Amino acid sequence: MEEKYRIAVIGSGPAGLSAAARAAQRGLSHVLLEAEPHLSNTIFRYQKGKFVMAEPGILPLRSPVSFAAGKREQILDIWNRESIALKVNLRARSEVAAVSGERGGFSIKLADQSVVQAEFVVLAIGLQGNIRKLGCPGEDCEVAQYQLDDPDEYNGEAIVVVGAGDAAIENALALADRNRVTIVNRRDEFDRAKAANNAAILKAIEDGRIQCFYNSGPRRVEHLPGKRPRGLLVLNTERGEVQVACDRVIARLGATPPRKFVESCGVKFPSADPTSLPAVSATYESNVPGLHIIGALAGFPLIKQAMNQGYEVVEYIQGDKVEPADEPLLRQKFAAMAGFTSVDSALALIQQRVPVLAPLTRLQLREFLLDSDLRTPAFGEVIFRRNDYTDSFYSIVGGEVAIELDPEKPSNAITLGAGEFFGEMSLISGRRRSGTVRAGHRCILIETPRRSMNKLIHSVAAVKRVVDEAFLRRAIQASVAPEHPPQAVEPLIGSATVQTFKPGEALFREGDPGDSLHLIRKGSVTVSRQIDDREIVLAYVPAGQYVGEMALISNLPRSATVTAAVAVETIRIDGTAFKKVLETEPHVRARFEANYRDRLARNVAALQEPSHGSLIRFLMSQGVGEATDVLLIDESLCVRCDHCEKACADTHGGLSRLDREAGPTFQNLHVPTSCRHCEHPHCMKDCPPDAIKRAPNGEVFISDACIGCGNCQRNCPYGVIQMGVQEDKRPSLWRWLLFGGREPGAPDEAHHHHGDTPKKAAKCDMCKDQAGGPACVRACPTGAALRASPEDFLRVARGE
Amino acid sequence: MARTQTDQSLRIAHESFLVHAGFRYLKVALLLSVAAIAAYIWHDPPGGPNGGTWLGYTLGTIGALQIAWLAWLGRRKRTYRSSIGTVRGWTSAHVYLGLSLALIATLHCAFHFGWNIHTLAYALTLAVIISGIYGVIAYARYPSLITGNRSQATREGWLADLDDINDRSIKLADTLGPDVHRVILASIDRIRIGGGVREILFGTREPERKAFEKVQAQLGETTQFMATQVRPRAEPSVSPDQMQSTVSFMAGRLAGGVDAGEQAQKLLDLLARRRDLTTRINRDIRLQALMQVWLYVHVPLTFALLAALVAHIVSVFIYW
Ligand SMILES: Cc1cc2nc3c(=O)[nH]c(=O)nc-3n(C[C@H](O)[C@H](O)[C@H](O)COP(=O)(O)OP(=O)(O)OC[C@H]3O[C@@H](n4cnc5c(N)ncnc54)[C@H](O)[C@@H]3O)c2cc1C
Ligand code: HEM
Ligand code: HEM
Ligand code: SF4
Ligand code: SF4
Repeated sequence: MEEKYRIAVIGSGPAGLSAAARAAQRGLSHVLLEAEPHLSNTIFRYQKGKFVMAEPGILPLRSPVSFAAGKREQILDIWNRESIALKVNLRARSEVAAVSGERGGFSIKLADQSVVQAEFVVLAIGLQGNIRKLGCPGEDCEVAQYQLDDPDEYNGEAIVVVGAGDAAIENALALADRNRVTIVNRRDEFDRAKAANNAAILKAIEDGRIQCFYNSGPRRVEHLPGKRPRGLLVLNTERGEVQVACDRVIARLGATPPRKFVESCGVKFPSADPTSLPAVSATYESNVPGLHIIGALAGFPLIKQAMNQGYEVVEYIQGDKVEPADEPLLRQKFAAMAGFTSVDSALALIQQRVPVLAPLTRLQLREFLLDSDLRTPAFGEVIFRRNDYTDSFYSIVGGEVAIELDPEKPSNAITLGAGEFFGEMSLISGRRRSGTVRAGHRCILIETPRRSMNKLIHSVAAVKRVVDEAFLRRAIQASVAPEHPPQAVEPLIGSATVQTFKPGEALFREGDPGDSLHLIRKGSVTVSRQIDDREIVLAYVPAGQYVGEMALISNLPRSATVTAAVAVETIRIDGTAFKKVLETEPHVRARFEANYRDRLARNVAALQEPSHGSLIRFLMSQGVGEATDVLLIDESLCVRCDHCEKACADTHGGLSRLDREAGPTFQNLHVPTSCRHCEHPHCMKDCPPDAIKRAPNGEVFISDACIGCGNCQRNCPYGVIQMGVQEDKRPSLWRWLLFGGREPGAPDEAHHHHGDTPKKAAKCDMCKDQAGGPACVRACPTGAALRASPEDFLRVARGE
Repeated sequence: MARTQTDQSLRIAHESFLVHAGFRYLKVALLLSVAAIAAYIWHDPPGGPNGGTWLGYTLGTIGALQIAWLAWLGRRKRTYRSSIGTVRGWTSAHVYLGLSLALIATLHCAFHFGWNIHTLAYALTLAVIISGIYGVIAYARYPSLITGNRSQATREGWLADLDDINDRSIKLADTLGPDVHRVILASIDRIRIGGGVREILFGTREPERKAFEKVQAQLGETTQFMATQVRPRAEPSVSPDQMQSTVSFMAGRLAGGVDAGEQAQKLLDLLARRRDLTTRINRDIRLQALMQVWLYVHVPLTFALLAALVAHIVSVFIYW
């Protein structure tokens, strides 16, 4: 028996639900296919009681189902009731396995082999992917679960955790305090996990706190009601079948990213990058006619946006025009443009004027402009200054700008005109601005934040190509021959390629032939030599500088090994082409030779003091290789008074963002758990409201837009973000001095009872809003606390 | 403190409070002292120098202002939003100007001492200053010793390890028969972290009181897990000797071949590790206590001094 509908919506998240609800409201024949037994699995899986936020505040909601900020339970409850009231045709437990066909004749195959026919398909499956289940009989029985909200809920139980990733290990360790825990690993190692988790689980197993079955997998799970323990897990192990009696089985096996499924429907992804998303038209149609994509999968990571699109996509499918919900916002933005008539004509004008934006679909362009600012600076106004840490990207719609690369000779400025762009250097390298930019006459600029620009670069191959090429050209010219016109370096550009290196990978090794020069465009490297079986670190070289020129100048093999300290991208310039430039350009030669002598002298000095090298290596292992500013503590001065922590808490709503005692120490130098203000902050990677920003002085901070999803906390490799509630009231100093009670800056026990106030992410903002700089350093009575930047590490490296 | 191991390998711009701003406040304090001495020598009032001459009044006023400002550090230190200098600068000035106060006060009273409220104020001033000097020495000496003793661990980590070792030794002891079990249980029962105040500072292990109580609370909680309780403080603590006796008991068993198996050897290793751990924890507590104990003299005496000073000034004006 086959069913046939006008619209089949796949996935009942906010996007899919809203689309189905609109179809129901319009009386269209429709079906909402959901893999899980309930609506909206992503939100269903939020932590219990999580406060869901309705960002962005300025965007109006347009959907037959209502949504406002509130608790997870409330929201799910409302959606359940409203979808029933609207007679949404929901088919739960209907995972879609395949979609084939085109507009007018889609056939949708479900996991249970039944088939649904539809004229149009709306794909709204989000980005969370499908949770991997145990894959054995009983995987859905009462004993098996795939999530753990609060480990403290369980006491004295026998629990089996299946999986070997971070989530499984963290769950197992957290449960082991009060329960008998067994962990099941399909393989014989835990090496997929973070180093700290790997070490911790191995220790727990060795100590006998957790029992482990290696090379084992589940064969079946049974629920035995009335028995104690109430369940049984049968395992296939190397020694045959083993029965483990248990109260629950918690499987943490990760999720399959949806990409493969989406591609199997015929939808194309623009690049192999894992962050890349399918391109859709202004009516959310993908490259498959009749197949529309909305919500997180289309690149709109917030609930309200997803719901608006659900409404709009049904209107578009029915051939009705709707003004997109963001139209008024765009109109407001463009109002500043002289001669503005309509949003559509302004969009067309921008695409015609700015070639880098030409390959975008209308939807991408709208999204791009919604995130961006349209600026009309007055003549002579500074757009950004040399050494600022900002990271936005600028496209010139009209007029011109002047770029001063050499602060000594502002007259040597380069002029860029309409259609060109700038700011890509800091965007890619994560480092300070390399020049000052001033507005020229009648200047109209689009300023785009880092995240939107990176998203674009990863989803439109043509944009990536253009930006990369400009970077290449400008970087080579700036570092090789700033005094020459661009033609002088043309032969170098022809030979240049972008190369990427994983942390710890060598760019080249001591003794290799010197065949190339590397301009570091992202990350940082260490230079080391092998002496008597010991590797001695000579130097640390950050992005923006080059390595590998020494062998080219001396015509000797490589004198040292250069290793990526973090993920590194370099521009590799061919050695022969470079030597030719050295021959023809005496200026260039002189500069490189001077630098060569300098580096040689420093290397000799560094070899004489190998302790510098060990220190550099230690700092690199602590993530300092990608830091722009770290808090360090000289433990020979630190009197453990914790005033740094108290100062942090007192100036930041009672929540300290640093943990002084935690963290490793080397030669009296202690790296506490505190933000490194990374060049490419990992925490920014996956923040739905784009709440994490970088301020001009380099501070990476979290704005009020945070929705408390905790992604940044998971993504930061240094564990410096915590979720908490800030309080407005501070304890009074006089009250404490005279009567005792809570000391200013002391941790507030009441924090654990913050009631309904939503938790948000909190991290160091380097006290950017305080007079006098970081409170931790200012509060240290002995001078033990210090903040250090890459420039300082360089000095350390040189032993200055 | 000026040159430490770290200074040699790390020249990231930072300095200790003693060298702050190129010894700025040392220079200020020296200047003040030299001026005071010069004035004292030059000034030759009828009846000899004393607190009642114009110079006496001036020096007294300077001294009183110094005391008030020195005591203000306690507040500035906790006014975290303040951007009036850094606490490091304040501490630097506090130390040097505090030292110069000894001279100013002495010249003010012109060496007139007696059994009166005035000399009480003077004596308290000196006591605070001397405790301060001890403080500076302690701040220079103990931080590196604490780091060395810690060898990367945190106190929390230590306690978790201790708990873990106890747990494992009980389990091992279980397999080795009831009398081993009893001895191990008793030895866990006797583990003591810290001790009485006098013992800690002058004897081997006396923690700073608060630290001690915290540790004890934590240890109490964790050992309860094994149905044992930390004994009240009056109980004799496990000295290395007693620890040794548990070890010798085990060694005896090992030699006697009763359970000369892998298990007993393991248990012995555990006990050795536990001894190292308790020694370290107690040493950590002691070092921290030695580093901070002086503040428990410095601050209360400061309050006593302020009271005596007020009394002195009031009494002087009443006599007048
Ligand atoms: C922890 C966390 C907190 C967040 N907090 C907020 C917040 O406070 N405010 C906010 O605006 N946003 C928040 N977000 C982002 C928000 O959850 C997403 O943007 C939103 O859920 C995306 O909606 P969607 O409809 O595109 O996809 P989803 O909500 O992911 O829905 C996809 C649905 O499709 C189903 N599905 C998947 N594959 C198939 C298949 N093959 N067949 C059938 N069904 C399938 C899934 O089961 C799921 O129900 C948060 C995200 C996370 C992870
Ligand atoms: C505003 C501040 C002060 C004033 C106005 C003041 C005034 C005086 C006067 C008038 C005398 C002479 C009294 C006499 O000889 O009988 C005196 C003596 C003395 N003062 Fe002060 N004084 C001040 C601060 C201090 C301080 C800060 C100290 C100690 C730290 C101090 C310690 C003494 C001592 C020890 C004597 C000697 C008492 C004696 O002669 O027996 N005074 N002071
Ligand atoms: C009469 C003179 C002095 C007075 C009234 C005084 C008072 C104080 C007070 C109130 C504090 C704050 C303690 C706290 O809140 O934790 C303090 C701290 C301190 N004092 Fe003094 N002091 C005096 C002299 C000295 C001298 C002479 C020295 C050193 C030579 C000294 C060294 C210190 C040090 C090192 C600190 C600790 C700073 C810190 O850890 O923040 N003091 N003093
Ligand atoms: S929070 Fe973590 S990832 Fe983000 S900048 Fe700081 S250290 Fe880097
Ligand atoms: S700041 Fe962190 S917790 Fe807040 S929304 Fe962004 S990723 Fe989520």
